[in-house]
Amino acid sequence: MKILIVDDFSTMRRIIKNLLRDLGFTNTDEADDGNSALPMLKSGKYDFLVTDWNMPGMSGFDLLKAVRADENLKNLPVLMVTAEAKRDQIVAAAQAGVNGYVVKPFTAAVLKEKIEKIFERIQ
Amino acid sequence: MAFDADEEILQDFLVEAGEILEKLSEQLVDLEQHPDDSDLLNAIFRGFHTVKGGAGFLQLDALVNCCHSAENVFDILRNHKRKVDAELMDVVLEALDNVNAMFEEVRNHEEPTPAPDELIAALDALAQPEGAASVSAEPPASEPASTSAETDGGDITDDEFEQLLDALDGGDQSDQSAPSAPAAEESAGAEDGDDEITDDEFEKLLDELHGEGKFSGAPPADAAPEKPSTEGAGDNAGSAAGDDLITDDEFEKLLDELHGKGGAPTGADSAAGGQSPAKSQPEPKPESASRPEPETAREPAAPKAAAKPPTPPREAAPAGETTVRVDTKRLDDIMNMVGELVLVRNRLQRLGNASEDEQMHKAVANLDVVTTDLQSAVMQTRMQPIKKVFGRFPRVVRDLARSLKKEVSLVMHGEETDLDKNLVEALSDPLVHLVRNSVDHGIESPDVREKAGKPRAGTVTLSAEQEGDHILLTIEDDGAGMDPEKLRQKAVEKGIYDQDAADRLTDNECFNLIFAAGFSTKDQISDVSGRGVGMDVVKTKIGQLNGQINIVSELGKGTRILIKVPLTLAIMPTLMIMLGDQSFALPLVNVVEIFHLDLTKTNIVDGRECIVVRDKVFPLFHIKRWLVRGEAGQEEPENAHVVIVAMGTKQVGFVVDQLIGQEEVVIKPLGRALQGTPGMAGATITGDGRIALIIDVPSLLQNYS
Repeated sequence: MKILIVDDFSTMRRIIKNLLRDLGFTNTDEADDGNSALPMLKSGKYDFLVTDWNMPGMSGFDLLKAVRADENLKNLPVLMVTAEAKRDQIVAAAQAGVNGYVVKPFTAAVLKEKIEKIFERIQ
Repeated sequence: MAFDADEEILQDFLVEAGEILEKLSEQLVDLEQHPDDSDLLNAIFRGFHTVKGGAGFLQLDALVNCCHSAENVFDILRNHKRKVDAELMDVVLEALDNVNAMFEEVRNHEEPTPAPDELIAALDALAQPEGAASVSAEPPASEPASTSAETDGGDITDDEFEQLLDALDGGDQSDQSAPSAPAAEESAGAEDGDDEITDDEFEKLLDELHGEGKFSGAPPADAAPEKPSTEGAGDNAGSAAGDDLITDDEFEKLLDELHGKGGAPTGADSAAGGQSPAKSQPEPKPESASRPEPETAREPAAPKAAAKPPTPPREAAPAGETTVRVDTKRLDDIMNMVGELVLVRNRLQRLGNASEDEQMHKAVANLDVVTTDLQSAVMQTRMQPIKKVFGRFPRVVRDLARSLKKEVSLVMHGEETDLDKNLVEALSDPLVHLVRNSVDHGIESPDVREKAGKPRAGTVTLSAEQEGDHILLTIEDDGAGMDPEKLRQKAVEKGIYDQDAADRLTDNECFNLIFAAGFSTKDQISDVSGRGVGMDVVKTKIGQLNGQINIVSELGKGTRILIKVPLTLAIMPTLMIMLGDQSFALPLVNVVEIFHLDLTKTNIVDGRECIVVRDKVFPLFHIKRWLVRGEAGQEEPENAHVVIVAMGTKQVGFVVDQLIGQEEVVIKPLGRALQGTPGMAGATITGDGRIALIIDVPSLLQNYS
């Protein structure tokens, strides 16, 4: 499974990358905000998108909307990484088509659970 | 514990979050000037937010707590629930100090000390909207969403919600999908007044959106959930959670709600032509409504944008990582090797010039070009913007001005000017000292300024620019300026000059007296500038960087300090000279001019040999007598080359035997036994393969003249 990790904080990308690696997902790429992620998504044949929510440039929310608006990407599963489980934010995200969310900090086990839940729903 | 965390990630975090903290200190001071700048507020909010996020993974709980509290304050501020004032700034700056202190501790592999409880309490108090009593029931973050969820502004009522659900059931999708968004939002628990979502709620939401256990791309397009299930889900989601957080279950339910609990219409929603308006409709909604402020403010505020070159829009190109972190030690090694290469090039050039072979000439010329390019490319990798140092100043000036009860505004130019990393670090302390000095001694108190017909607030201007192969730094204030008479008097009192000599000093020379050791015109050393390094130390430090410092002042108008430093420390342009059969290198920065002189035309003034050039008198020194063994008592020749060298405002002439020419040399430190030899800055290998000593002009004169 090819995964794109989007976060403006490179340390965070690395943390997520390592956690994913621990779960056996080694085919990962990184982007530092929505603006650089979108072209990668369009050309890269990714199977899964993990994106931070609060980013300068193009936020995770805008990225999500752009992904859903794209004919080829509209079914791409998206996991949002957020600092708080703020209801409004997550409801808005769900409405925009997010598949799951995970609150920082999280462990590999939590991440695994979230990913499994997402794919349960898709299949 | 921090120590369990992956050491590499911890180091990454320290570097990256450290940059954010540096920026934060700058932004916070900026904020005091522009308290309503929402871009800035967002940027600061995000700064604390990002540091908190990273620290969370590394289990640096003390850091998380402090950042979290600070972040909350800025969440309130950016939502305009509170105004920035001086007290708030004090608390927030204290929080930043604490965070920085914790950073130091983490860096030293210590467990960070939690911020004092009072500070956290103060932050938490500030994280309440102003006049908290009346509005405290409403959680801050829900504000932007709740006020704007509907197109016409107000909160949705239960009746409206029912209607919406009915309408959703009806079937005309293009009409309902817009309201469907607020509907689901409402159902997800707005009634609790809590603003965090639980997983359960989220699941429910997803169920609503996509159908139970299903997912189907952008949800609102098929927002036709069965009414009972939606309602039930909404109620459940709303009432089950007694807090702001959404649970996994709730989230599942939400998904069900959003996507229709029944069969999930997978392809249909997007394929059906009639539904494309429905699909597009909900999209602009959240953009314009649900989070309007952060959305619009984000782009210009981006704190990273300044540091990174703007990413060009990449069209369908796999981007990948474009930067690598490299240990500076490795860069130093590369620089050193390039230095060696420069020496070899110099040697080959010399040999090439001696040979008649045209091929050889071409090859050497080629090597010359490549080496020069390589040298500048490697230098580029070590370049850092001077901003690294400048970034500290807004805070320094603010704190100092506040403690001295002065009004000072700091203006900075050319922060993007690049210079060698080592130089950036080495310049930091002297510059801080000079800036503190400007605020402490330069700028007058507001009342005095007013009497003098100046604006109450003084201005300190800090600028950097590249001038050829060196950097010019200027620190300028519009304060009281210096009185040359006073300085002359002081110099006589301190016994540095006798009255006659003092009277003969030009004004400029007088100003530069403040760099003399033990020279302070303030009778009482103030708490601020009297500590630590003095001006003489500043001058020595700049001298060590092969730099020059100069000072210009006008009484009542202000003072300007000019610092010139080379772009890099590793490679130095020099003038090669010969004394006897030994070659020496004079740093080119010191060299003013060269001429041939009839040595019989010298004069003796004050017992010193002098020459007159264009009506100016320069002391003349036979450095050969100092530097070459057995030359002390030698008869001097009738004609010789004279090099005029300058240190600050002082210019003297050196008599040399031969001038070889300009050469770029790589500075090698002297061996341990020779280190600290007065007058010698180091050694280098010349183009003809011999060793040349590099002359340190100020220390040479100090020691011998």
